[in-house]
Amino acid sequence: MSIYLTRRDRLQGGPTLDPVTLWRYNVKARLRLEFCFHRVTGNTDVFEQQWAHEELLCRVTGGEIKELCQQFPHGITDQVIQNDMPHLEPQQRAMAINKLLSLGQLDLLRNSSGLLYRMKDMQSTSKMKGSDNQEKLVYQIIEDAGNKGIWSRDIRFKSNLPLTEINKILKNLESKKLIKAVKSVAASKKKVYMLYNLQPDRSVTGGAWYSDQDFESEFVEVLNQQCFKFLQSKAEAARDSKQSPMVQRNSSFATSHEVWKYICELGISKVDLSMDDIETILNTLIYDGKVEMTVIAAKEGTVGSVDGQMKLYRGVNPVIQPTGVVRTPCGLCPVFEDCHEGGEISPSNCIYMTEWLDF
Amino acid sequence: MTAQEVRLCGLLLQEHFGEVVAKVGTHLLKSGAQNLRTIIHETGISLDLVKKSLCVLVQHGTCVFSSGRKAPGSPTEYRTSCDRILRILRYPRYIYTAKTLYGDTGELIIEELLQRGDMTMSSTVKTVADRLTQNMEEGRSMDYSEVSSAFSKLVETHFLQRCPPMAGAGTKDSGTPATPATPAIPGTPAAPVSTAPPTPESFPDCYRVPHVTLIGRGKRRLSNEDGEDQRNAKKTKMDSETHGDEGIYWQVNFERFHLHFRDQAIISAVANKLDQTSSEIVRTMLRMSEVTTSPTATCTKPLSANEIFRSLPSSYNIPRPILDQYLTLLVDDPMEFVGKAGESGGGMYVVNLHKALANLARATLESVVQERFGSRSARIFRLLLRKRHLEQKQVEDFAMIPAKEAKDMLYTLLSQNLVQLQEIPKTPDYAPSRTFYLYTVNQLPTARMLLQNCYKTVANLIERRLFESKESKRLLEKSQRIEAILASLQASGAEPEQLTEVEEMITAPEKQQLEALRLHINKLDSAENQVDETIFLLESYVNSTMSVY
Repeated sequence: MSIYLTRRDRLQGGPTLDPVTLWRYNVKARLRLEFCFHRVTGNTDVFEQQWAHEELLCRVTGGEIKELCQQFPHGITDQVIQNDMPHLEPQQRAMAINKLLSLGQLDLLRNSSGLLYRMKDMQSTSKMKGSDNQEKLVYQIIEDAGNKGIWSRDIRFKSNLPLTEINKILKNLESKKLIKAVKSVAASKKKVYMLYNLQPDRSVTGGAWYSDQDFESEFVEVLNQQCFKFLQSKAEAARDSKQSPMVQRNSSFATSHEVWKYICELGISKVDLSMDDIETILNTLIYDGKVEMTVIAAKEGTVGSVDGQMKLYRGVNPVIQPTGVVRTPCGLCPVFEDCHEGGEISPSNCIYMTEWLDF
Repeated sequence: MTAQEVRLCGLLLQEHFGEVVAKVGTHLLKSGAQNLRTIIHETGISLDLVKKSLCVLVQHGTCVFSSGRKAPGSPTEYRTSCDRILRILRYPRYIYTAKTLYGDTGELIIEELLQRGDMTMSSTVKTVADRLTQNMEEGRSMDYSEVSSAFSKLVETHFLQRCPPMAGAGTKDSGTPATPATPAIPGTPAAPVSTAPPTPESFPDCYRVPHVTLIGRGKRRLSNEDGEDQRNAKKTKMDSETHGDEGIYWQVNFERFHLHFRDQAIISAVANKLDQTSSEIVRTMLRMSEVTTSPTATCTKPLSANEIFRSLPSSYNIPRPILDQYLTLLVDDPMEFVGKAGESGGGMYVVNLHKALANLARATLESVVQERFGSRSARIFRLLLRKRHLEQKQVEDFAMIPAKEAKDMLYTLLSQNLVQLQEIPKTPDYAPSRTFYLYTVNQLPTARMLLQNCYKTVANLIERRLFESKESKRLLEKSQRIEAILASLQASGAEPEQLTEVEEMITAPEKQQLEALRLHINKLDSAENQVDETIFLLESYVNSTMSVY
């Protein structure tokens, strides 16, 4: 067939080829076709019988290694491959392994006892088709960072690639929509990269209180006021009810769940707030000295209980009136330390006192 | 004995006793114990005046003398302490308390004793009766027995106590009650005395009222103004009737008043935090343990619920189970005013005095931070008080304040020394990038610092008051003269035209100025009293922590 093809070509005046070479190509193509067909149908043994008879024309090695890998999902060492295919020479074994590695179907790992080969996930290999090694490496690192994302400098440390390369690769991956950049709330100039479909972690975006890296103080203030009003009105209602003091006190308590429901129903928040968020707001009220908290044991299953406990909040009155010293100008004076008799700032010529006395 | 305290004491002494005493007093405060010759040498004041000043100070209990340290025979040394002088600031409060508890009689007794330092019972009674009679209508006069009974009541509740007798001071002439004009000179102690002055309480007769025969009524003063004082002084000298209580001098028991103030503070705090009924219960508990609890006790003696129920004032008709509920609520309150000490007798309850004081001091600190720096800084302050040590980031997260503002506020508080920084190194070389920096608030040192600030504030207010009076001295003198002229004209029956003519000598703007001046001085006075309340709370708190150790 090849002789005919070459003669014909020569007569037609086209590019000529040595018949032997042509014949070799044909054989190779045919073998490849057969091999693929048999591999797909799972009949590699049949193929071996037909064409790899006495190992004249070709040899099936890579597939066996792949099968071995599939058998041992956490990786096989060189030793295992050798045991399984004793007829294979080390050189050929190495060639087959290299081919599989370059095709991206095998993962090379190192453990305490030597090198390990592991089967790569078919999905991820399909994604990276067409990317080169470096990109794959960078993608790997970003994937490992998971939810929290990773900073470009850390990527550089882990991959030992120069900065320009990293930037190019990152731009590439971003355009392919495989990764995305998220601005961290802790340092506004820092960008962390994470996989495209992952939700950034709360520590990066700051959770419900941040919108676009800005702490929403007015939102927090509004929530603060509302919670306090709710608890205060509850306490007043309890006080006016004129029942026995124990009942009064107990009815002035509100669980964190109740407060959460009230706030949700008020609808002042665009974002969904969890009970933990409400508890942080209530804690700020405690630090304001307007509210006190107790924890009681609650049955599992009662609404709002966490681990068998419930937190109760109650509005309280301050213990003392503003103390005496702050009613004088000296108590609030910004230059208190500099004030001496006979000096520039002294009680005799204090302007704050003059204003206060004429008040 | 800080600089601020010394300054304040100097001002107080100057106001109450004059320049010379103030000089001697401050000198003694600054230099500790000294003998007579050193004082004269260092202050440059003549022997006579120094002696008189020392007498005044001893009379009022501010100065104590003891034999020299070097050898038993060395000259006596005189020593003052700040506390006693700072009490002068609180005199108005003592007098007011006595008025609320024991009426006008009590008020005048305390006032006399505070002014004179110490007096015998008989002289006090006589003087007070005279004063009361003066203010009564014509034809009525105050009986001595009423005043004596008020006196005895004061002694029973320990508001008055006997002065400790001086050891080896037999030569002291104690016949005449000492007045500031003719002080009794302390006798030279021949025998060595122990270095620590005996406390009044160490004498068993401290609160025993002597048997005094006092029969008579108060004498109305004649309406002769000028010769009046001298005549009175002469009268007392000639009054050589003995009443059986010579040598027994009484003084005001400041500690007892302080306990009373402390109780008041706790009761009002409970009323603010809970409700009126709970505060009544706490008041009853404190009243029952008034004389059984020592001043430095951490909590009162346990009282059973039955006793409390029986001692409640009858106007509060609450049934027994409700009382139990109130007590339980008091115990459960996070402020921990009341604690439960046992189950016998229906539940034994104590009032936690030291804890209550600590809570009140903490509330004071928080209020100062709030008024001075704003409510968000107060939030950070309270947060640090609760959580002890926190990092910068944690402070921002807990307080829900944006990072920039939180940083600003923390640094302001740090610069005012209200908040401290604690460094915890990770590496031995304290490198800043590898150290934890934690913010913390220490309540006791902060309270002390605030106390010193309060002393400085009061000193500033006093100085301003003196300055204002000095500025308008001319005006004040003029108004005084005019008043004197008016009064004399009225007494000698002048016509209305003359009176109006004299009145018009003060022009309208001057009148306005006088009014404004009066207002200013009143304001400054009341401000001093208000700051004194804070001083009292902080002092009690600091003292309560000291007595534990």
